[in-house]
Amino acid sequence: MPALAGRRNVVVLAVLALAALPAMANPYILYVANIALIYAILAVGLNLLLGYAGQFAFANAALFGIGAYATGLFQVRLGLSFWAAFPAAVVFTTLVGLVVALPALRLSGLYLALVTLAFAQLTQWVMLNWERVTFGAGGFRVPPLTFGALAPALGLYYLTLLLTGLLVAAAWNTVRSGVGRALVAVRDSEVAAESLAIDLARHKAIAFSLSALYAGVAGGLYSALLSFVAPEGFDLFQMVVQFSMVVVGGLGSVWGSVLGAGLLVGLQEALRAFKGAQEIAFGLLLMACIIFLPDGLISLVKRRARGWDEPLRAPDRPA
Amino acid sequence: MSRLVVRDVSIAFGGVVALDGVDLELAAGEIRGVIGPNGAGKTTLLNVICGINPPDRGAIALDGVPLVGEKPSAIAAHGLGRTFQATQLFRGMTVLENVMTGLHGRLTESVLGAAFRSRRLREAEAAAAARARDVLAFVGMQAFEGRLATELSFGQQRVIEIARALISEPRVLLLDEPAVGLSLNRITEVDALMRRIRDERGVSILLVEHVIRLVMDVSDRITVLSYGRKIAEGGPDEIRADPAVIEAYLGRDLHAGSPAP
Amino acid sequence: MLPYLVVSGLTTGSLYALVAMGLVVVYKATSVVNFAHGELFMVGGFLAYTFHVLLKLGYVASLLLAVIAALLLGLVTERIAYRPLMRAPAISLVLAAVGFSFVLKGAARQIWGGLGDYMPFPPVVATPAITLGSIILVPQQLVVLAGALICMGLFTAFFTSTRAGKMLQATAENAKAARLAGIRVERVYAFTWAAGAATGAAAAVLMAPLTFVYPDVGSPLLVKAFAAAVLGGFGSLPGAVLGGFSIGLIENLAGGYLHTSFTDISAFLVIMVVLIVRPTGFFGPRAVRRI
Repeated sequence: MPALAGRRNVVVLAVLALAALPAMANPYILYVANIALIYAILAVGLNLLLGYAGQFAFANAALFGIGAYATGLFQVRLGLSFWAAFPAAVVFTTLVGLVVALPALRLSGLYLALVTLAFAQLTQWVMLNWERVTFGAGGFRVPPLTFGALAPALGLYYLTLLLTGLLVAAAWNTVRSGVGRALVAVRDSEVAAESLAIDLARHKAIAFSLSALYAGVAGGLYSALLSFVAPEGFDLFQMVVQFSMVVVGGLGSVWGSVLGAGLLVGLQEALRAFKGAQEIAFGLLLMACIIFLPDGLISLVKRRARGWDEPLRAPDRPA
Repeated sequence: MSRLVVRDVSIAFGGVVALDGVDLELAAGEIRGVIGPNGAGKTTLLNVICGINPPDRGAIALDGVPLVGEKPSAIAAHGLGRTFQATQLFRGMTVLENVMTGLHGRLTESVLGAAFRSRRLREAEAAAAARARDVLAFVGMQAFEGRLATELSFGQQRVIEIARALISEPRVLLLDEPAVGLSLNRITEVDALMRRIRDERGVSILLVEHVIRLVMDVSDRITVLSYGRKIAEGGPDEIRADPAVIEAYLGRDLHAGSPAP
Repeated sequence: MLPYLVVSGLTTGSLYALVAMGLVVVYKATSVVNFAHGELFMVGGFLAYTFHVLLKLGYVASLLLAVIAALLLGLVTERIAYRPLMRAPAISLVLAAVGFSFVLKGAARQIWGGLGDYMPFPPVVATPAITLGSIILVPQQLVVLAGALICMGLFTAFFTSTRAGKMLQATAENAKAARLAGIRVERVYAFTWAAGAATGAAAAVLMAPLTFVYPDVGSPLLVKAFAAAVLGGFGSLPGAVLGGFSIGLIENLAGGYLHTSFTDISAFLVIMVVLIVRPTGFFGPRAVRRI
């Protein structure tokens, strides 16, 4: 018998509430909800790579930025409409993610972290210095989006809600399949995975391109939401924000990432004006969760309510 | 007829020769013991066969299909299963999930199919779970399917690892010290399990083991390695009497079969 | 132009080398890469700024005070970001260090950030540039280079000649055996983190007069120290020093001959190229895959 506060009921309720939100919320709340949905996409995608496949990479903030820049620049520089630029940007970001995966096929652990950190810095540098294309440090405005009769903010909100729903469901399905098991196998023991006919290169590439695809979708939506793209949103702090969401929610838990994204977007909004305080808060949360709550907040939910079990577990740590 | 043929295989690590011209033929339905003092190259032999360390020289074939140069995952897909000296269960998975993962080579699902949870995928998943339960029943561990792999005892983990390797119906199974650290009772169970794997599932087994008594009891034939070379091969009785083997073990009493350190 | 670029390359390179040494020492002893190392460097710079500019202490006194403060901070880092996670997977350790680095960065922004984004640091020597034929030498650079070399010398001497240094080497070699030999391994770890932080701070104090101090200075510097360590095979102190000088030279030459903006990305490109082409660096042995 499904539990009353089980996952299915809670998710259905949350989706209904989010769908009804525009009817009762002011524009600011709607904007924050939109941001939270975008971060849910980012966190779930990053968790597939970090929590499930165990690939420790710093590239996700940069890929988020590449998604935003590509969506914006395809419109501004190539004259495409958003509806052409956005999918093209997602494909482009996914391809970049695959390129980032190439070193991952040879490197692991520390070295992978270093290469992807260098990639992230390089991406920032390109955004800042390739002014002929990227407009440099000042960023650029993106043409406003229209949705026919629907108000632009409302249209974008429902588009984001739809895509978030699709991508979260897709991630949830993936981790319940043989693909999800193969990713966790690669994470837990590469030699054992190979001995079971799991191709390491293929599955690392799958993990990287999935997370890049999610980051690309999030980036495109983000550029449309802000109508503006600039380099500073996609720096290392952005990476820490995403890491925090995944870890606070729960490594290796799709629903944990959704939870983490929702909570931490709230925190970020509350501290919006104080960069130093944001850094301290996210840094402390990241540390505290890793040390005291390594399975994240979702583990508390699982302990207290029935019906939240997930296949596959977080990366191992000592009992 | 030979299932697995290893011909003139050599490999060196940083100038140290770990295997030197080793030949070995594993027949269908055979349990072959591989013994030798520490550092003889036993585990290296398994790693070379399954592709983790490709040999510098020599050829390996499984049912006539050459394996050298293939990725370990491709070699596994040809029908080669293995277990590890330090058990390598996936620590983030339940017992059932671990065993289901062994079916990977047989699942043909696409990432897209997985993401949309197609009907074909759901059916394949259900079938995979059923097969995993069958294999768990075969090794007598069906009661543990929902437990986390890490919660099990050392000996239970080894058996699960064997089940995980068996589910894809390999033709050859490489076992790396399945009895190390086990009690005598457990060793007897492993002995019986190996015979059942051979007799009921038709799997040929290459067994690297330090527990001499187990090797002598279960093996059809035994290969002895020392310093990377094959120094003897034959039935258990021949090996027991072979002066070169006794020399290699230097005073270690083969007949008592005390577990090596 | 070449001699000038080489001298400035060697000068900044010496600082990268110093920062990389701190990184490598911690890595050798604990197999952990301290992702907060750049922020320890940054805090060292701000402390020196506080002592020297705000409290008007002498340069050498400020350097010593900053190094001592960094030692303590290194101990704190070890205690809260490493000790509780010693047996946790590498991902947790790196994430905790990244979290801690942002706590430091945010704290620096809160404490010193109000003073202006980029803090100028007065030069240590005010002597004008010396011209030797076509070579122009900036005394400030020479002072920094000399200071960095002295710090490296002290650091190396410490590890090769003192008892504490030998204990550290023994622990790095084999922690279990070191423990059996009566070495208190935990204490050695704590000490290593402190020493690593101290070298970072020393580099920051030396670098401060050449450039500005600001809260975001840590991460680019960390990447450069990474690049230096990676070139040297990550785990070799002489490798880190050579790597540091190489990165300094490469970025100055690239900045001088290609475009100034290349100064900033040389290190990233070096990391990517080295790790993809020869992941074990210049000095490391070729890895053998074992189980």
